[in-house]
Amino acid sequence: MRLMIYILSIITVFSMSSCIEIIDDLTLNSDGTGSFKYTINLSASKIKINSILALDSLDGKKVPSIEEIKQKVNHFKSKFEAKTGISNLTIESNYTDYIFKIKCDFTSLSALQDAVHQVIIDEKLDHNIKEISENWITWDGQKLIRNIPDYTINRSKNLTENEVEQLKQGKYTSVTRFDRPIDKYLNTNAKLAPSKLAIMLQTNTYSLLQNINLLENTIYLSPSKKD
Amino acid sequence: MEINSKITSKKFNKVLYTFVFVFASFYAFNQHSEDFIPKEAVTVFSLNNISILQKVSMDELVRYEFMEEVQSELFDGSTSGKTLKDSGIDFDSKLNVFYGRGKDFEVSGFTFGIKNKKQLFSTFDDFDLVDSQILGVEYYNSYFNHLLIKGNVGVLIRVDPTEEKISKYTDSLWVVRGNTLIIEEDIFQLEEEVLDEKEFEEENNEEVKQDTEGLEFNEPEYPVVVEDPGQKNYSELRDSVQLEFQRQYLFEICNELFIKNINLKSQDSSFAIQLTHNTEGIFYLDNSRNFKKAQGFWYFQSMFPSMYEEFNALYTGNIMLGDIYLNENNIELKLTANYGQALGSIYHKMNNAKFDKNVFKYIPQNNSAHFTYNVNLKEAYEQAYKIIIPILQKEKNARVSSTLLTLELLNEFVDKDALFGTYKGSVFGTFNGIKKVKTTKIEYSYDENLNYEEKEVEQEVDMPLFAIGISTDRKDIPELILNHISRITSQCKNYEDYWKFENAILESVPLYMINKNGLFIFTNDEDLAKNHSNGYGKEALSGDIAKKNKKSGFAYAYIDWSKVIDKLPREIFTSEQNDLIDAMRGKTGVMELTSSKTSIKNTSFDITYGFSGQYENSGKYILDLINSIYVISK
Repeated sequence: MRLMIYILSIITVFSMSSCIEIIDDLTLNSDGTGSFKYTINLSASKIKINSILALDSLDGKKVPSIEEIKQKVNHFKSKFEAKTGISNLTIESNYTDYIFKIKCDFTSLSALQDAVHQVIIDEKLDHNIKEISENWITWDGQKLIRNIPDYTINRSKNLTENEVEQLKQGKYTSVTRFDRPIDKYLNTNAKLAPSKLAIMLQTNTYSLLQNINLLENTIYLSPSKKD
Repeated sequence: MEINSKITSKKFNKVLYTFVFVFASFYAFNQHSEDFIPKEAVTVFSLNNISILQKVSMDELVRYEFMEEVQSELFDGSTSGKTLKDSGIDFDSKLNVFYGRGKDFEVSGFTFGIKNKKQLFSTFDDFDLVDSQILGVEYYNSYFNHLLIKGNVGVLIRVDPTEEKISKYTDSLWVVRGNTLIIEEDIFQLEEEVLDEKEFEEENNEEVKQDTEGLEFNEPEYPVVVEDPGQKNYSELRDSVQLEFQRQYLFEICNELFIKNINLKSQDSSFAIQLTHNTEGIFYLDNSRNFKKAQGFWYFQSMFPSMYEEFNALYTGNIMLGDIYLNENNIELKLTANYGQALGSIYHKMNNAKFDKNVFKYIPQNNSAHFTYNVNLKEAYEQAYKIIIPILQKEKNARVSSTLLTLELLNEFVDKDALFGTYKGSVFGTFNGIKKVKTTKIEYSYDENLNYEEKEVEQEVDMPLFAIGISTDRKDIPELILNHISRITSQCKNYEDYWKFENAILESVPLYMINKNGLFIFTNDEDLAKNHSNGYGKEALSGDIAKKNKKSGFAYAYIDWSKVIDKLPREIFTSEQNDLIDAMRGKTGVMELTSSKTSIKNTSFDITYGFSGQYENSGKYILDLINSIYVISK
């Protein structure tokens, strides 16, 4: 029966959506320390992922096994937590629904940013090193300017109609939290929590692909801490 | 007297030279395109009536897989907007497309008649004239493609040494030149060691070292010889080896074709006879050479030479020959698969199978594609046992002897009636199109403080629906297995009419099993399991197509391209298969395969490709069909 299941799995062909949901959730304390949560949700594409994992190769490239992916995740974890200013790193991996959650604390935003850059350079995840040297987040104690890292979105110019549809179903959510109220913000698409301690921006992955600055925001905080 | 004698001698020489020239010219011009197919060709399509191809544009032509090996020249823009009519090809000559793969090299290309050389070189304008080493043969070269012209015949040919051959000689030369050969595994280790040392110095972190083991995915790099700039690095050496072998094999082939007159037609009488058929085209595939040249077979030959000879004899004569007919509304490929007596006796025993009419109940009338395969596996097994066991018994090798003992013991101990009663050998399959199926996904919902939580929600995805079933006389045995599975996992449950295994397909979609009416069916079609476990009733396959299924010897297949081809995703196919699919995208028509009963000597197949387009565009359909067969046979 395993053989029949395998055959059916292989011949099962898909025209279904293969969308991705990303949530980046940054909590920033007044002293510059904070925590960062990054969630990648591929559960809407789990059938497609399983179908690909059932193959030996795809477009001439070897398809890694779950075990190899786990090893790679562990490798990434060890690299990342070894970076200066990064602590309490946890990675939750759900290989049933394909959800991956990365969480860490940082001593400063520059430490977080450097750590991300360094891991990408070390692992050669992106060959456009110049691009990734740009800052995607700055903090001066009163004002936070943030975007999403350019390398988050792998841009492709030749998208098919079907791929565009799939990307439109994907979602990118950026949440920023503070320990004192937000005074004002520049991106009018942002949604501010009633407590004024958190702000959110959300868009679909296709729009983000077209305009990487869609989630850019400058957030001004009130001078005093909220009681 | 002496002077007269000299004059006579001169005259005689002149007459002789003239005669030789005239004879050589006559011979050259009397040779046909089919006389220049290398004997190494394993697959050949020879088109007699190529006038129907005149409307085919060169751009369309080069998109076909069978043109892949020789198409780089044709993709350079010189063919843009041109049809085959503009290419100087003689449409009164045969066009022969060939491909072959030997132990050491692959050869591919086509041979054709030339009507207008000027036009030909306006299309093949990147070819440069090179000094020919063969008298009477013009040689033109463009990168890896070679165009040889003798008389009015052109041979466009490409020869590629196998990767194994190139690697073997390059490695050998590399070591002889004082370099160390680094095999890929060693490169991985070497890079890991360097990485780990660096990590150790930087971080002094032992855990990191453990986690990185075996995780380098970079391409291996061979060392570069830097001490002597005149010395080639590994890649350069490899290129040189490749080039040298290409030159050597091309010379061998040309020597045979143009000097020794050794070609496929002269070497294989069955091919020569097939060429005389007055049809639109013919097809030739030497399966025995395909089998013998399989990489595993070379190992087999060196390890078990006597057994190799026995199996070699078993496969000798395994040749497929076919004729292509162009009718008003369809193209027909009539194929005969020939084989030797021993192999034929196994195939022949498969015939003794009664068609299981129950399969029609489970094939919907409006299916997009289906096949039925009807054989008697038990009789075929018994015949194969009679033939193969004596071959194994002759081999005095411990490994073979051990395998033989296992086979003989299994034959004695296994209840073959139960085994072949459960799986008789007959199979059917259907593709029922795309339907929405329910699965789940995780969504995030946000509260007013922008905190979020996960919740599982249903989603509908498009899923192609298949059913694959086998005929069985032993309903009890699948039940036995399924009952066992249901005891050990709650995912497998028995419903009244079917079994359901949750998340069996791609860990997301349930698999349904129907064990009724002498069939054991696997499907991902919920509707079939829940509402049609006894079949589709009036909506089931009937009429002409059902009759064709029943009458067809041992196999029948039907595919409606318009319903299927655009739904096939690239992901699950190899690049070669995708080339075939791409060539068929946007095409309409029904392809149908029927077969005869197998005899001791051969089995006949009839593939028809019905088209709804105009007859004058039939050349494209012929190329579609050729491409399909070419890719499958390659």
